[in-house]
Amino acid sequence: MKKLLSVQVMVIFLFCSVISADLPARALQWQAGGITADKNREKNIRIKDAMGRSVEVGLPVKRMVVLTSDALEVIRALNAENLVVGVNSGIARDTLFWPGLKDKPTVGRWMEPNYELIVDLNPDIVVGYARHPAQDMEKKLSPFGITVLRLDFYKIRTLLKEVEILGRILEREKEAGQLTGWYRKKMNFMQKRLKDINDRPDVYVESYSKHQTTGPGSGGHEICVLAGGYNIASNFSIPYPQITPEWVLANNPHVIIKATSLSNCYAMSRPDPLKSIRNEIMSRPAWDNIRALQDDKVYVMASDIWTGPRAIIGTSYMAKWFHPDIFRNFDPEKLHKEYLRKFQGIKYQGVYVYP
Amino acid sequence: MLHVQGLFFRYKNITVLKDVEIGLNKGEILSIVGPNGAGKTTLLKSIVRIVKPDKGTILIDGKDASRMNRLNLAKCISYVPQALPSKFPISVFDAVLMGRRPYIVWKPSKKDLKVVADLLKSMHLESVALRDFDQLSGGQKQKVLLARAFAQDTDYLLLDEPTSNLDLKHQMEVMEMISGMVKKKGMAAMLAMHDLNLASRFSDTIMMLNAGKVFCTGEPSQVITVENIKSVYGVEARVNRNSGHPYILPIRPLN
Amino acid sequence: MEDICQQYQGVTGRKISFIILLALVLFGVSIIALSQGPSSVGFRESFAALFQDSGLAHGIIWKLRLPRIVMAIMVGCGLALAGTVFQAILRNPLASPYTLGIGWSAGFGAVMAIIFGAGLYNEYLIAGNAFFFALLSSFLILGIAKFKRSTPETMILAGIAIMFLFSSLSSLFQYMGTMEEVHEIVFWFFGSLSKVGWKEISMASVMILFPIPILLKWSWDFNLLAAGDESAKALGVNVDAIRMLGVVLASLVTAGAICFTGVIGFVGLVSPHITRMVIGGDHRFLLPASALVGAVLVLTADILGRALWAPQVIPIGIVTSFVGVPFFFYLLMKKTREYW
Repeated sequence: MKKLLSVQVMVIFLFCSVISADLPARALQWQAGGITADKNREKNIRIKDAMGRSVEVGLPVKRMVVLTSDALEVIRALNAENLVVGVNSGIARDTLFWPGLKDKPTVGRWMEPNYELIVDLNPDIVVGYARHPAQDMEKKLSPFGITVLRLDFYKIRTLLKEVEILGRILEREKEAGQLTGWYRKKMNFMQKRLKDINDRPDVYVESYSKHQTTGPGSGGHEICVLAGGYNIASNFSIPYPQITPEWVLANNPHVIIKATSLSNCYAMSRPDPLKSIRNEIMSRPAWDNIRALQDDKVYVMASDIWTGPRAIIGTSYMAKWFHPDIFRNFDPEKLHKEYLRKFQGIKYQGVYVYP
Repeated sequence: MLHVQGLFFRYKNITVLKDVEIGLNKGEILSIVGPNGAGKTTLLKSIVRIVKPDKGTILIDGKDASRMNRLNLAKCISYVPQALPSKFPISVFDAVLMGRRPYIVWKPSKKDLKVVADLLKSMHLESVALRDFDQLSGGQKQKVLLARAFAQDTDYLLLDEPTSNLDLKHQMEVMEMISGMVKKKGMAAMLAMHDLNLASRFSDTIMMLNAGKVFCTGEPSQVITVENIKSVYGVEARVNRNSGHPYILPIRPLN
Repeated sequence: MEDICQQYQGVTGRKISFIILLALVLFGVSIIALSQGPSSVGFRESFAALFQDSGLAHGIIWKLRLPRIVMAIMVGCGLALAGTVFQAILRNPLASPYTLGIGWSAGFGAVMAIIFGAGLYNEYLIAGNAFFFALLSSFLILGIAKFKRSTPETMILAGIAIMFLFSSLSSLFQYMGTMEEVHEIVFWFFGSLSKVGWKEISMASVMILFPIPILLKWSWDFNLLAAGDESAKALGVNVDAIRMLGVVLASLVTAGAICFTGVIGFVGLVSPHITRMVIGGDHRFLLPASALVGAVLVLTADILGRALWAPQVIPIGIVTSFVGVPFFFYLLMKKTREYW
């Protein structure tokens, strides 16, 4: 009997750990300490990474393995794609978006790379998320003189500081400045317009799974608030809680935003997958009583622009959906086009939102 | 009459039963004796079709048992296995009531309950009727299983070692219950027995089985002899015939 | 003489009373569940809404709360029934849909259908696949039980092996899957009653309710199996057929109970034991009573899971263990009878 119970408990914990491992957007109480330059700057700099740890990086960086597509996007924006010698296996699935990286050697999954392959590529640094891969990466790679750099790039609040840090490390301060400048300009534009709003619409943000919302500490909550919405899960205590459909009905939100992690949005030419996701929401039992459904304000958004460097695009879409009057002449798609052309060097295509 | 004709049973390459013939009349008690591995248990199991014999027929009052379905067979022959169930989470009353299973559809009838109650009373199990089977002593358990077999209300009763693991008093009680029931109801009982003295005391006929073959059959006084015990069991024994039933006193094993 | 009969009928009467009591408790808990929710539809409104045919309250009661309650009851009944049947058939107190790995393989089948049926969410596919995989591992266990020495330990070991096999296969899906699929699987394994509508319920009810009369009809046979195969055969039970068909039906019930709701593990193991401790091992009463106990357990767990941390929901699979384990331990410590 006891054995059985312990198996059950073990299984529950296993699942808990699985879910925490799969949700990188978990809150990290990190405050960027900025850059504290060393005296012999040309040789080494010390930075504070996303874990809040002080990391010494030898300059110049000539070879790097990048495990996260968020970091890759920033690296491409900093015009440093040529320094990348290895990427995660997900890149190969999205070759249209990564024309310059599609032939780079892969080193395995972003959260569990193959260290032997990394060592083989002999990089100066490896870039990963703050929490993934696990802490053993440092232990495994430091004997080979490989520095592990943990930067998230998926949280809009800390994105710009991380871009600056990466700019310093890659000695691309100018490009970093351009990106952050552009970002700040667009952000200010949005915040200025949103300054005077006196009513924020109630928003139900649904995460990837059915009846799972995004509470404080999640990226979804963050951009919803930034875009001038009121997240009806604002007083929750877990970032990705299950809720009942009746709770949504009881809160009667003005807008419903559904996140989807459909892969390959860039290669998508028709909105059908997003449409069917939206249809499923529209047909949920008794939800026809919700304002959002009655007013046709149910939107589906791909994770490409939800978190990561393009969170500003997602935020812009949300802002426009939340406050159509204020942003009548504002086109988030144009912003997206501008970003891809200016910073990613690729043309705009794909489907990211519906409708 | 229960008639076993030319029964063969093979397990892998070993012949467990070889051309066994039995005729058992109502009102009679037949004991099957023989050393360990002689095939006593297999013989009983073949008759109730718990195992399927390779050859041979079993006629119950002239009807071929292999053509009867289990339920009808259960109305003709009851069987009590040697091993007690290791865990049997049910009350004594329910355990005996199970004997009525062949007659019950779902809800036991008044008659079923009465049969069980009568049996419990006559077998002095009233006081434990509502206790759990698992709480009983070995002797009581054996009696309950016997009661279950009686409740089955069959003409033929097959018992595998009904007295093993019982103390002296329970041995006598169980054997008297069996012979009492056989006489009272005109049943026929077939017992696999280890205890030659009990067998000789209570049986009308004894069949001695050796290595799957019938060694000899007959009245106790004909079968329980010094020579038979010597050649079948390999034991030197004395047989005392003073009390009417042959009574053996084993002396030593022979090599 | 009449005395024993009367006493016995008294005991039987108490068992029936216990079942009636359980039914009343279930009814009471259902009423609580019906009147509890984050919206303003309270106790009185919810009953009024039962008899309306439109309006918000009607929608909340008929489309959200009732399906949830009905599904909770069916899942509880189904898992408890399946657990009872597996315990009887394998004569093994540790048997249950999950300890035998059958729940896991049914779950794997459902997850597989959810992922490979991508987009076209098809309840027949999910239910059918869940049943198929449930059967697969049931027969595996039955085979081991038949051809090997089938001690309780070997069967449970085989079950645990199957559990690891199928949870690993599910993990493999997770590992290879897209984010979307990963979340689907992870949430599936938490168990959830939110996703269930009347369509799923009708599907599940066929799988759960249809075997019940048959299983009840076999109550005597299950009782006799406890006495041992030989005794059962001698008393007219077609042991092999009962065992085979029993496993098929119990697998069907298991698949029906979990294919739309996910992992709700502990109920199938404890409900039969809890019930047996109270009314003993006669399956005529054990089967319905343990089904009711399971239903009460799951429904109570769902109410708690929705209320404790409202409006955030603690997944039902987690709460059932939290409710069931302490209660089970309490009974284990307290029990005076020796039932397995």
